[in-house]
Amino acid sequence: MKNRVYLDHNATTPLDADLVSALISETSAGTGLLRQWGNPSSVHSYSRGPKSILRETRKKLADIYQAHPNDFIYNSGASEGNNTVFHSVWSAFKMTKPDYFISGVEHPSLMRAAEYLKTLGANIFVIPVNRQGQLDLDFLKQNISEKTALVSVMFANNETGTIFPIQKIIEIAKGHKVLVHSDCVQALGKCQLNFKDFDLSYATFSAHKFYGLKGSGVLYIKKSSPYTNLIFGGAQERFRRGGTENVLGISSLGFMLDKYSQLPEKINSMQTLRNQMESEILSSIKLVSMTAFDSPRLPNTSSLLIDGVDGEILLMSLDLDGFAVSTGAACSSGSPEPSPVLLAMGLSRDEAQKSLRISLGWNTTLEQISSFVKTLKICVDRIREANAAEKERETNNKVIGAL
Amino acid sequence: MKKKRVLVAMSGGVDSSVAAALLVEQGFEVIGATMQVWDYSQCDIVEGAGTCCSSIDVDDARSVADKLDIPFYVLNCEAKFKATVIDPFIQSYLNAQTPLPCVNCNTFLKFDHLIVKMKELGCDYLATGHYAQVLKNDRGESVIATSTDDWKDQTYFLFTIDPSIVDKLMFPIGHLNKPQVRQIAEMKGLTVAKKKDSTGICFVGSQGYDQFIASQVDQKILNTKKGVFKRYPSGEILAEHAGIHLYTIGQSKGLGMTYHEKLFVIKIEAGSNVVWLGEEKDLYQSAVDVVDCHWLNHVENGEMVQAKIRYQHKPSPAKIVKTEFGFRLEFLEPQRAVTPGQAAVIYKNSGSLDSSSYEKILVGGGWIRT
Repeated sequence: MKNRVYLDHNATTPLDADLVSALISETSAGTGLLRQWGNPSSVHSYSRGPKSILRETRKKLADIYQAHPNDFIYNSGASEGNNTVFHSVWSAFKMTKPDYFISGVEHPSLMRAAEYLKTLGANIFVIPVNRQGQLDLDFLKQNISEKTALVSVMFANNETGTIFPIQKIIEIAKGHKVLVHSDCVQALGKCQLNFKDFDLSYATFSAHKFYGLKGSGVLYIKKSSPYTNLIFGGAQERFRRGGTENVLGISSLGFMLDKYSQLPEKINSMQTLRNQMESEILSSIKLVSMTAFDSPRLPNTSSLLIDGVDGEILLMSLDLDGFAVSTGAACSSGSPEPSPVLLAMGLSRDEAQKSLRISLGWNTTLEQISSFVKTLKICVDRIREANAAEKERETNNKVIGAL
Repeated sequence: MKKKRVLVAMSGGVDSSVAAALLVEQGFEVIGATMQVWDYSQCDIVEGAGTCCSSIDVDDARSVADKLDIPFYVLNCEAKFKATVIDPFIQSYLNAQTPLPCVNCNTFLKFDHLIVKMKELGCDYLATGHYAQVLKNDRGESVIATSTDDWKDQTYFLFTIDPSIVDKLMFPIGHLNKPQVRQIAEMKGLTVAKKKDSTGICFVGSQGYDQFIASQVDQKILNTKKGVFKRYPSGEILAEHAGIHLYTIGQSKGLGMTYHEKLFVIKIEAGSNVVWLGEEKDLYQSAVDVVDCHWLNHVENGEMVQAKIRYQHKPSPAKIVKTEFGFRLEFLEPQRAVTPGQAAVIYKNSGSLDSSSYEKILVGGGWIRT
């Protein structure tokens, strides 16, 4: 197997190497995380380790995000978190406040939760996003009212990397006493964020976007925000989310939060590499443009439009050569559709089809980036040549006419 | 030496799975791809019930690729499939013809779209699980020839292939018969070894094509296709019928009317919506007009050829005569149920090939008009 290079960190991140060691370590005291299989709700001593993981991780979250430990509810990830927020807000206000604002480029878990509320009578206002990935805040200002229950805008977009002006959104919403939610999955490990500076009512996170295990996440809920269970069950999470906690997933998040202090340095290194990669791409490959280049962006994300190239085939070509990147949201069959995010930004289907997203991680190296750019150029050249030859074949087609 | 790279179109069925397995065995660098052609969530058909390319079949293809340890991708072809296969399929029925969607899928997807993808992916060849062969003629040119399995031979669906790409094609199972293919699948431990053959039209599934059309076309439009059955050749009106799209030439069952003798659909008229019913003998004709021709090899005006007018038709001798828009086949024996919308495909004996071979060379074909 050739050396593979992973450049799709916005989809998911590889498990942190130290975390892997911590998971499988077999210390004499039996403290390896995989050893913590007891039910945290039990009374006996097997629950002690798991209980401690839940408690300590919650404390770390509270420290980092400057909130109270009880403001965090463990769940299965951001999709559940997003659904819980919409369910909670709707349950609190129903038709007394039927208006909801979302951006046009949200994650499907949020889009579809909003669509469902629409069937119950809610009005869903979609805040337009322009080709640079910027939100039309005037639209929000003009339409928000006392009938508005919630504004939900992601902290940063997964495909273009655009960072949205959450602070301004909070200000606008506060003026109307409206709740604000932000899907923060892309912020974790890439942006500085805390709930003292960002007075959000709700925020959603997933551990697997931060070098942790899949199937584990956190919903931040400010004390005064309405909450209704999505899942009823036992006393877990102060009766707010039933089901035995995913202790292992939570432990992976807790483990990674210990590395949170490295964030400024990691942001810096990802941004430096990303910028270098972009300038190398622009100088070596013709007819390439960067989406949302001039907007505030995540430090690790590049969204390219490459003329004359089908992004789907480019992705496969790069994969065959050992580089993992992305084009748009994949459907369940794994068959890529043009990115709904780019379409919502006003790009045509044809434009969206030539897109490629590269997202770097904490451990991406200069060497990886240099070899990626070289391979990218080879693949792009080959695809463009193949297309030119194909046009020629079509022109010369049917030369063998019989009869 | 660098391995030659082959893109294999994998449907999730046993044929294309074995094709991929054989290429791996032969030392090629094999890349599997499935074309996602139809969103099955939009219709009520039972997935995987002997159809191709439903999502269960994509999973089957993926599992075979995993077993063979080859890269595998799903190509989204839904929009292209709708425009070039589904829509013409529906229009054909509404225009009193009986369509042949597999040819359109081959023309516009497998041997056009995938050829482009093959080149873009840096592959040297495109392989499919068709029962057909690529052989060299005495001039060293690659030609398409029939499979050694007469019963399964699928060259009938390949007549629109651009001759300039034939040397880029591979049909790895074309020299085998179906039991042999299944045996190889079994030996290689492929999960699809015992999978049911796909029969009928993949996107129609078990519901029947009439139900499929009803699900896709506005009832108001279908109502305009209603008309009467007339007795051939007298013109006597026998009954009303529910729409010309529900009938095909040669059909005698499910006409929705009773008569004192067995009647067959002889002719369907698009404009007047008349469906002519007659006796079986009225179904036979010797001359068949063919339009919109495609040629892979040369044939002389007036030459005697072998021709097939439907998939399960035994190639029959006919004289080929050039016409303004294509050609006319003058069969030595009258042919039953010549059906507009189906293809007439021309073969020649492979005299120029190795003398031990009995395969026939695919010459070309076109669409039956009358």
